[in-house]
Amino acid sequence: MSVTNSFDQLATLRAVLLATPLFAVGLTLAAYLLGICVFQRLGRPTWLPAILVAALMLAAVLSLTGIPYQEYQQGAAWLTVLLGPATVALGMPLYQQLPRIRELWRPLLFSLPLAAGLAVIYALGIAWLLGASPTILASLAAKSVTAPIAIGITQQLGGSVALLMGALLITGVAAIAFVSLLARWMGIRDERIIGFALGLNGHALGTVRAFEIGPTAGAFASLGMSLTGVLTALLLPLAWRLLTLAGMSVGS
Amino acid sequence: MPALSGFLWLLGFWLIGEAVVTLTGLPVSAGVVGMLLLTLTLALRGGVPSTLAAAAQPLIALLAMLIMPGVVGVFFIIGEMAGHWTAILAGLILGTLLSVFTTLWLMQYLMRRYHVGD
Repeated sequence: MSVTNSFDQLATLRAVLLATPLFAVGLTLAAYLLGICVFQRLGRPTWLPAILVAALMLAAVLSLTGIPYQEYQQGAAWLTVLLGPATVALGMPLYQQLPRIRELWRPLLFSLPLAAGLAVIYALGIAWLLGASPTILASLAAKSVTAPIAIGITQQLGGSVALLMGALLITGVAAIAFVSLLARWMGIRDERIIGFALGLNGHALGTVRAFEIGPTAGAFASLGMSLTGVLTALLLPLAWRLLTLAGMSVGS
Repeated sequence: MPALSGFLWLLGFWLIGEAVVTLTGLPVSAGVVGMLLLTLTLALRGGVPSTLAAAAQPLIALLAMLIMPGVVGVFFIIGEMAGHWTAILAGLILGTLLSVFTTLWLMQYLMRRYHVGD
């Protein structure tokens, strides 16, 4: 067999593998499981979540094999379509948090819209002052919202989902670090407050961290995460539409 | 097949969400509408059916994997966003510092005020 012949065969193999979505799905599953494995071997570092390890490995495989990201993404869409029912599934933990919402309804009624709103406003304000474009701002707006909901919001606003994913990762890691730092500095030991702050600002990554602190912190983090997700999903696209309308009338 | 019938429930609520969004033109995603309707249904019903739990729990546990294909995308736009990274990182990190402080302070103040601290 000549060298050119085997090269042809490899090219055929590559085309065959890329033609089936199962290749992208298998690649994703493998990277995810390997990512968890590496994460546990490293002693579960909070600054390097398993999902980041997995994504780095997957990105490395794609660039080494020369598979364009778009082609991989098309195949992996067979997995991402499950994000729809998975978002609906979040209604179950939300229902399970209802007794805690009732118990704390007054502090929540005031703090949730304010804190969740300011989480968006601070980040966008700073990025805007430093000259970020409207597309970048639209991609950062949902940075404190849990991924399945945040993706929906970002698509509504016309932002880049890829940039949003990076923003979610950075925000989650930063929220974990700042909550432990500031809580110590402010003398806050109440697990309910610490957990709530972790979920509201650090979405799923913060919630995972809260469950490591304790079950109460974990429950309040889930509460903070789901309520922030719902509130932001309901209000942000509306606020954005009003803002762009106002901007257009001012600009013209 | 309890998980399968639970999954059908999730798909059903998502499809209802899609119908609501399409018909009303609300700027909300179908998943969020489905999630809220599911919470409402469970509250009215007064409990989580075992079929639904069998489908919802593993699906929620898999969320991190489901978003992986999207997370990978960020490494392929690093070049595209060149020159914007200072604004992006400052907004995210400084913004998170400020919003964490706001949340902690607000909750501490309000829980004291309404005496739910003890």
